[in-house]
Amino acid sequence: MSDATTKSASATSIENKADPIRGHARVVSNEEEGPGRRLRLAVPDWPGSIPGQFVMIGAGAEAGVPRRDPLLPRPMAIYRELGSSGVRASAEGEIELLYRVVGRGTQLLSEAREGESIKVVGPLGRGFPLDRPAVASVDESGSKAILVGGGTGIASLYELARALISRGRSVVVILGGRSAGDLMGQREFEALDVQLICTTEDGSDGVHGLVTTPLADGLTSGERGATVYAVGPTPMMKACAALAATNSVDCYVSLENPMACGFGVCLGCAAPRAEGGFFLVCRAGPVFLAREIDWEGLP
Amino acid sequence: MTEAIDESVNFAGIVLRNPVLTASGTFGYGTEFAPFLDLEKIGGFVAKSLTLEPRFGNPPPRIAETPAGMLNAISIENVGVRAFLEEKLPALPDGVVVIASAFGTEPSVYAELAARVSEHPRISGIEINASCPHVKAGGIEFGQDPKLLGELVREVRRATTRPLLVKLSPNVTHIADMARVCEAEGADGISLINAVQAMEVDVETRRPVLSNILGGLSGPAIRPIALRMVWQVAQAVEIPICGVGGIMNAEDAIKFMLCGATAVQVGTANYLDPSSAQRIAVGISEYARSHGFKRVADLTGALETPRE
Repeated sequence: MSDATTKSASATSIENKADPIRGHARVVSNEEEGPGRRLRLAVPDWPGSIPGQFVMIGAGAEAGVPRRDPLLPRPMAIYRELGSSGVRASAEGEIELLYRVVGRGTQLLSEAREGESIKVVGPLGRGFPLDRPAVASVDESGSKAILVGGGTGIASLYELARALISRGRSVVVILGGRSAGDLMGQREFEALDVQLICTTEDGSDGVHGLVTTPLADGLTSGERGATVYAVGPTPMMKACAALAATNSVDCYVSLENPMACGFGVCLGCAAPRAEGGFFLVCRAGPVFLAREIDWEGLP
Repeated sequence: MTEAIDESVNFAGIVLRNPVLTASGTFGYGTEFAPFLDLEKIGGFVAKSLTLEPRFGNPPPRIAETPAGMLNAISIENVGVRAFLEEKLPALPDGVVVIASAFGTEPSVYAELAARVSEHPRISGIEINASCPHVKAGGIEFGQDPKLLGELVREVRRATTRPLLVKLSPNVTHIADMARVCEAEGADGISLINAVQAMEVDVETRRPVLSNILGGLSGPAIRPIALRMVWQVAQAVEIPICGVGGIMNAEDAIKFMLCGATAVQVGTANYLDPSSAQRIAVGISEYARSHGFKRVADLTGALETPRE
């Protein structure tokens, strides 16, 4: 690509060779999950996603007439992928999304009932790299991956954790919230072969404090070749990136900018590059190495 | 047995297989849509506006959602004319109709862009972007002053023999006057409207939602304004019109044709559903057939208005 913004597409995130689809997904379930909701969709011709990819989803169910207001679809990380063959072209894949009701679009989404139809485009964007960092003389299988999730950011981490485990990586998952009621997806992470650490700012569950406390402990335990994957509010990702930099390890983040299309044409999701200019989050990311981003320039 | 209907239209000397184009700045360089629609089944597309050199856009936030619409202030971010001709055009299938869009701060820059893209056999026409509502210099300055607009069209007309379109700004008092100037200076067709200049504010932060403060409003919110302007321009000029503004489905597109548009451009709808343009083309054809038209082109100007 030679677009002004995408010329230096993140060299580190991974492309899905399968083309995205556009279509209407059927709501399988849409239930409360902690402070938010878990939406399960059956998507016709779902080509399969890679960890870190997202979908653009309509602001609520539609019955025939497309919605005019709110107008735009919303980008959402694919939390779990269930039952997609990823091989047969006609496969109906099931995916899960985690979201919180923050505005009119997500309010309408929360009202979608089983069997209703929601517009979906995806999978979109570039996913997380799964291989160990390029540090000489590190045993790949032994190198630790530390996944840090805050808020709905944890939705980007579940399939990543599974993929890393299947590659023999030792995985630590740190999930953070303001209080115990803020945590999402705990039971699925508990079922994985990971070391799970929950943190709450009010101490109502797990470690009292921010996710950076256990992250700092994990990074200073002297291991070489660890990788940090942090997804959550911008201040959280920035703090994780700073800790990783101090300890000379790579930190991947996933950015969540407003976007209208999700596939590189509205040019709305620009994020400032550390080297100057912009990335399109939808095409160059949403996964980036933290040091590729100019954090001060993010709104 | 349904009779085949002639879907093609001749817009400003460009033969289109159907009247549905996609609007500049909403369709990238075409290939982005290959997974979602058949580029050879839409009338064609107007590529992202080009500048002589590659250009970065505004810092974020660049877009915001508004009632039944969206605001944007991208600021003509593009790969530049050279990369467009050497890399983007060759990547497209042969049967795709491509109209180049030119943007500059001086008439001479527009003219140079027009001359350069005209040399390329894949370019079917040139659209002058005289209406970008969120660039500090150029664009809308031309679109808001009949004298400047006339000088611009005249200079670009001298630089190319290809079909020449002018995309008008709605941010004027008398849209028909602007269209007449374009016709007088030799434009072959007129596209209207570009986005409506607008702004939005966040009361919690007490800041404008866009980094650029001002942006362009698009989507269904502006469609009745666009329709009115197309109607007015159709009364004022003989050259053909391409209707643009909030078209989401075939019914919307048909309204523009009835008001006098020969072709239409689909813009914001490409974001919501990247297959929109192809669906709209099919829908227009179905409407024409079911309403007794032999040719889609006969929809143009077929509006019944009350007699005075």
